[in-house]
Amino acid sequence: MPEIHVTIDGVPVTVPAGTNVVDAARVAGISIPVFCYHPRMKPVGMCRMCLVAIGTPKVDRATGQVEKDAEGKPIIAMMPKLMTGCTTPVSEGMVVLTTTDEVKFAQRGILEFLLTSHPLDCPVCDKGGECPLQNLTMEWGPGNSRFDYSDKVHFEKPVPLGDLILLDRERCILCGRCVRYQDEIADDPVLGYENRGRNWHIISKSDPPFDSKFSGNTTDICPVGALTTADFRFRARVWELKSVPSICTHCPVGCNIALDMRHDQIKRVMPRENGAVNDIWICDKGRFGQRFVESTERLTTPLIRRNGELVATTWDEALRVVAERFATIQREAGGEALAGLAGPRLSNEDLFAFQRLFREVLHSPHLDHRVGMPGEPHADNLGTELGVGSGTNLMTLGKGTTVLVFGADPEEEAPLYMLRLRGIADRGGELIVVNPRPTKLERSATHRLRYRAGSELQFTRALLSVALAEVDTQQRTPDFPGLDSLRTTLQSIAVDAAAEAAGVTVEALRTVAQRFVQAENGIIMYGADAFAVGPMLTHDLGNLAVLAGKVGRANNGLIALLPGGNARGALDMGVRPDYGPGYTSLSQPGLSAREIWGAATEGRVRGMYVMGIDPANDFPASRGALEALEFLVVQDMFLTATAQVAHVVLPSASFAERDGTYTNAERRVQRARQARPAPGACRADWTIVQGVAQALAGMLVPVAAASQSATEGYWSQDGSEQEGVSRNGQAWNYITVSDVADAIADTVPGYSGITHTSLAQTGKVGTWGRQTNEDYFYDGTNYENTEGVGLQYPAPVEQQRTTFTLETAPIQSAPIDERYPFVLLVQRLLYDADPLLRDSLLVSHVPAPYVAISTNDSRRLGIQAGDRVRVSSSAGGIELPARVVVDLTDGSVLIPAHLSGAPLSMIQTGPRTHVALTKIAQR
Amino acid sequence: MALSEYIVLRDVQIPDIADFDVYLKHGGYEALRQAVKHKTPAEIVTMVRDAGLRGRGGAGFPTGVKWGFLPKGVYPRYLLCNCDESEPGTFNNHQIIDRNPHQLIEGIIISAYAIECHTAYIYTRGEFAAASRTLEHAIAQAYASGFLGKNILGSGYDLDLYVHRGAGAYICGEETALMESLEGKIGQPRLKPPFPAVAGLYGKPTIINNVETLINVPPIVEKGVAWYRSFGTEKSPGTKAFSLCGHVNRPGNYELPFGVPLRELIYSPEYGGGMREDRPVKIVVPGGASAPWLTGDQLDVALDYESLAAAGTMLGSGGVIVLNDTVSAPHVAYKMDEFFKHESCGKCTPCREGTHWLVRVLHRMTEEHHGHADDIPTLHDIYRQMAGNCLCLLGESAVMPIKSALDLFPEEFETLVKVQHAEHRLELTSR
Repeated sequence: MPEIHVTIDGVPVTVPAGTNVVDAARVAGISIPVFCYHPRMKPVGMCRMCLVAIGTPKVDRATGQVEKDAEGKPIIAMMPKLMTGCTTPVSEGMVVLTTTDEVKFAQRGILEFLLTSHPLDCPVCDKGGECPLQNLTMEWGPGNSRFDYSDKVHFEKPVPLGDLILLDRERCILCGRCVRYQDEIADDPVLGYENRGRNWHIISKSDPPFDSKFSGNTTDICPVGALTTADFRFRARVWELKSVPSICTHCPVGCNIALDMRHDQIKRVMPRENGAVNDIWICDKGRFGQRFVESTERLTTPLIRRNGELVATTWDEALRVVAERFATIQREAGGEALAGLAGPRLSNEDLFAFQRLFREVLHSPHLDHRVGMPGEPHADNLGTELGVGSGTNLMTLGKGTTVLVFGADPEEEAPLYMLRLRGIADRGGELIVVNPRPTKLERSATHRLRYRAGSELQFTRALLSVALAEVDTQQRTPDFPGLDSLRTTLQSIAVDAAAEAAGVTVEALRTVAQRFVQAENGIIMYGADAFAVGPMLTHDLGNLAVLAGKVGRANNGLIALLPGGNARGALDMGVRPDYGPGYTSLSQPGLSAREIWGAATEGRVRGMYVMGIDPANDFPASRGALEALEFLVVQDMFLTATAQVAHVVLPSASFAERDGTYTNAERRVQRARQARPAPGACRADWTIVQGVAQALAGMLVPVAAASQSATEGYWSQDGSEQEGVSRNGQAWNYITVSDVADAIADTVPGYSGITHTSLAQTGKVGTWGRQTNEDYFYDGTNYENTEGVGLQYPAPVEQQRTTFTLETAPIQSAPIDERYPFVLLVQRLLYDADPLLRDSLLVSHVPAPYVAISTNDSRRLGIQAGDRVRVSSSAGGIELPARVVVDLTDGSVLIPAHLSGAPLSMIQTGPRTHVALTKIAQR
Repeated sequence: MALSEYIVLRDVQIPDIADFDVYLKHGGYEALRQAVKHKTPAEIVTMVRDAGLRGRGGAGFPTGVKWGFLPKGVYPRYLLCNCDESEPGTFNNHQIIDRNPHQLIEGIIISAYAIECHTAYIYTRGEFAAASRTLEHAIAQAYASGFLGKNILGSGYDLDLYVHRGAGAYICGEETALMESLEGKIGQPRLKPPFPAVAGLYGKPTIINNVETLINVPPIVEKGVAWYRSFGTEKSPGTKAFSLCGHVNRPGNYELPFGVPLRELIYSPEYGGGMREDRPVKIVVPGGASAPWLTGDQLDVALDYESLAAAGTMLGSGGVIVLNDTVSAPHVAYKMDEFFKHESCGKCTPCREGTHWLVRVLHRMTEEHHGHADDIPTLHDIYRQMAGNCLCLLGESAVMPIKSALDLFPEEFETLVKVQHAEHRLELTSR
């Protein structure tokens, strides 16, 4: 970008071409007041607050030369009217004056005008104290108003825009930020305007009203108290709040949030700026869905089963009983009779301590962070191994970048990614969305492909073939192990036939391959619909990234969307049967969750420790196995379905009640702070695990340390880390959570150097460009990030430590059972029956379960929307009301996951389930 | 002296020219035939530029120059005919589409041909329901005779023309708001630049011309530049259909060559026929409500762009409102600004809030009779805070009535507040 030189109030400043005058002034440290302008959106020049005097060098029309005065300085021709700084791009030699009498008069005038329609009800307004209108009035406004108060226009106040957001039309200054945000950034154009003049106001145009998963952000960017959330409204005055930095654990984005606390209460949740993660936005689940922390249903004391009832007990007794029972089982049947599950929302420290307890103390290899449900993601290593390079920042990407989204629905699985990817497309990047079903991200896609569910591998093989041809043409073939065998395999593929089987054209595949291969940067994101196919598919995506040379650099590589806020951390920490911490190989792998259930039923696994996960609810088929256990200890915030059958229940602290680190989908490790004390006797998970380990001291039979010795891994050639792994046997003497983090940094390959201290030193890095007086315009947004933006550990491929080989396993086409002609697509929803949505306003947003079928199938089977349908597979059947989705591919049915009343695990037979539909009742 | 030959209001001489056959009999669509068969688009643009045709919508910008702003090689282009005639005191467009629609249609076809566009729209004011039907009927006749549609007159040139009725908003006469409305959005002005010639309707290069501008095109093409320039003045060639209203004996549309003195328009028996009851002229608003006022001692000003600008006002839409000495200047300002307040779209602050505030203060002064001396400096400040600071010209226009009233008749405001103040005191003492 060419640099432009401008002078603002005598201060020379150099900015890139295309910068507007307001932003150029920010660079010069000069404040031009704004209301409608927002740096994240296109300027509209509506509020007229940023009026300034602008002049440009006078050019002699005849010669085209800048005219100079006697001193050789360019003669500046001032524009006849004041100009809005937000809509005026800088030009070479421009002179801007922001403090002349004319400018001051105009700016004061605009503020006086705005206040004529404003109710001035600051004392009862939630925005009071962080209100740009207040701030700008203090700095630029008139001291008093000449407007007759009785002339004010009154509206009913407030009116709901939706059930989450309320609008006070009297306070609204009609800057339109909310409407433009919904149009430009969220891509939910559900807000609009009605009427005109002084009666012009904001309305919701959608049904249900304000139907957007990003609606809360409008209240942040509203420069007055017109938009308030039902969640925070009248809860506190903002100056009483203390912001505590935290991390949202609802999904793998890892949005930086701030918990705004008054004493021990979370009054509201706000975004914290992190350009590499969530910019300045969060989704509504992150904002409104943290009320579970203060739920009255929280456990507050340890519980122990006496005479069939769970009764309160002390920590001493609870830990002693757990230790004794585990020790007994271990003595009688060895560590392998014990198994542990720890959920993917827990912090790295909890997960690390948990696997240490199992591998080092109990000598059990049976660990998992999943519940063993059919169709849940396999343990994905590629997201680390070929993950996006360190330094990746989606915010900086645009032209030259191609993002391939394969089998993922970011809006539902990881909402902020939708905004980030839309931004890349907006800035000129290519966004290729490949899915078996409609998703909202498709609307922003530059290329959109729908494959036929069940033919994913034909699709990827055909894509790999054309991609290989493309890299050969471009002479960019990578030197990577397995290339020759991959070439041989791909040569045997009939691209035409494979494309046809996948329901796409070869042309479309070729376009996708070309765009991806030729791009400067390439990212592949995959999610639930890709995981539904299994590791062969994700390996093919890895093949594509490697073939195209899109690995091992910043802004290149894979991003895997796994359920849970810290699934990547769970994989990294080795809470899995197949690898130890840091992907170190195990000489003896353990049982996966699914295998544990079988072993428990058969009595081979006799005791279990279930922490922060609820198999009895998520996978009801596991109930039998859980009940068959000799001893079950459940550690959770709530008395979950699993806890109800436990022998001991240990109450744990929520993410807001302890410090911890979480690893997001891009391997960024981020730190959350403690915001409130844990209720009752609740303790942080890692503390409890350590308590169990300490209580076990001396009770166990010594075992030769064979099962947990790490032999190789991505980082294995590094001697010091190898040594670190062997230091596993250190004592259980963590005093604070940062001691656990230090142990992780010492012993987990890849996490070297990532400690709470180093995380705190990542500082205020951001793109917002804070400067003096910035708060004036963007107050109330809580964007400031003073607590660090996290550290992204390098992907093994960046350090040439990958074990990845280019290969494709042959496609094994299972014979299709004609009785079950439909492919079942399971859709992960953002608002599902997640028990952590409890006590939040979002509960009413969780839909009732349904089965969606295509229009043609609906016609063919005579099934209308609302009819009750039996969906059956070889495993069983469930009954659901039908919905007809116009855009769904024929031959596939869609059922949302995790809705109460739709126990999908009853019919799922594996990663891919085939089902039959029978209409059982007319609507 | 009346025109011997009308250019715009030809229905004055040929009363049933709206009839297709009558129009054809009087040489209708001959200019089109000449244009598409014998002239290149560039030649027509040159003719219109050389004829000095200026936009009649209000700004008076040279039409041929405007057409020349279209970026080369960017298609499709659109031609919009602005018939959202809503300026108070202005009613010539309505008469044209009602009484002489075919000449307008011919003008649009030739202009579209000149700017190489294949889709044109006539955006009519919502209230012009009957006239819009007349227009649609005339368009259907033009299609049936091969003047519109595919391969016009065998020339290979295609054009589709649509009438779109607005929903009754003054702001939709503003060219960018008109485009928003035509696109199906809320009628509010867009930010300029980009100007419509570069990125207009649906983001494509677009020319927007007034009805009266486009109806001048067939005579120019048919009879030539020199003939056209024989009317009017050097810098304002041609004729203008003035809409005369107010306290005159004969209100109506009168077509005059540019340069005729205002006095003649008001007093000539052929035009205004003098003031009702021979009362003196107090205020003349020469270019629709958006134009600064003239007073009774300025009647010798010539009615052309330059002379009116020199007199501190503008020709605008050519809607001449003549008011006699019975009116109160503050009250006139109040009524006019009430119009602007009612029509303010609300998008920008100074117009939305400024018009509202102005009207509230003026209403208190003129209708409720309890103005205050402080109101006068407040009124001055309100319009100063608006002037030059609005997003589009609507807000700027709202400044004109109050500014003119305060500048030209300050004593009326002072009297008003003094009287009211005295009355108020009397009220208090008698209580």
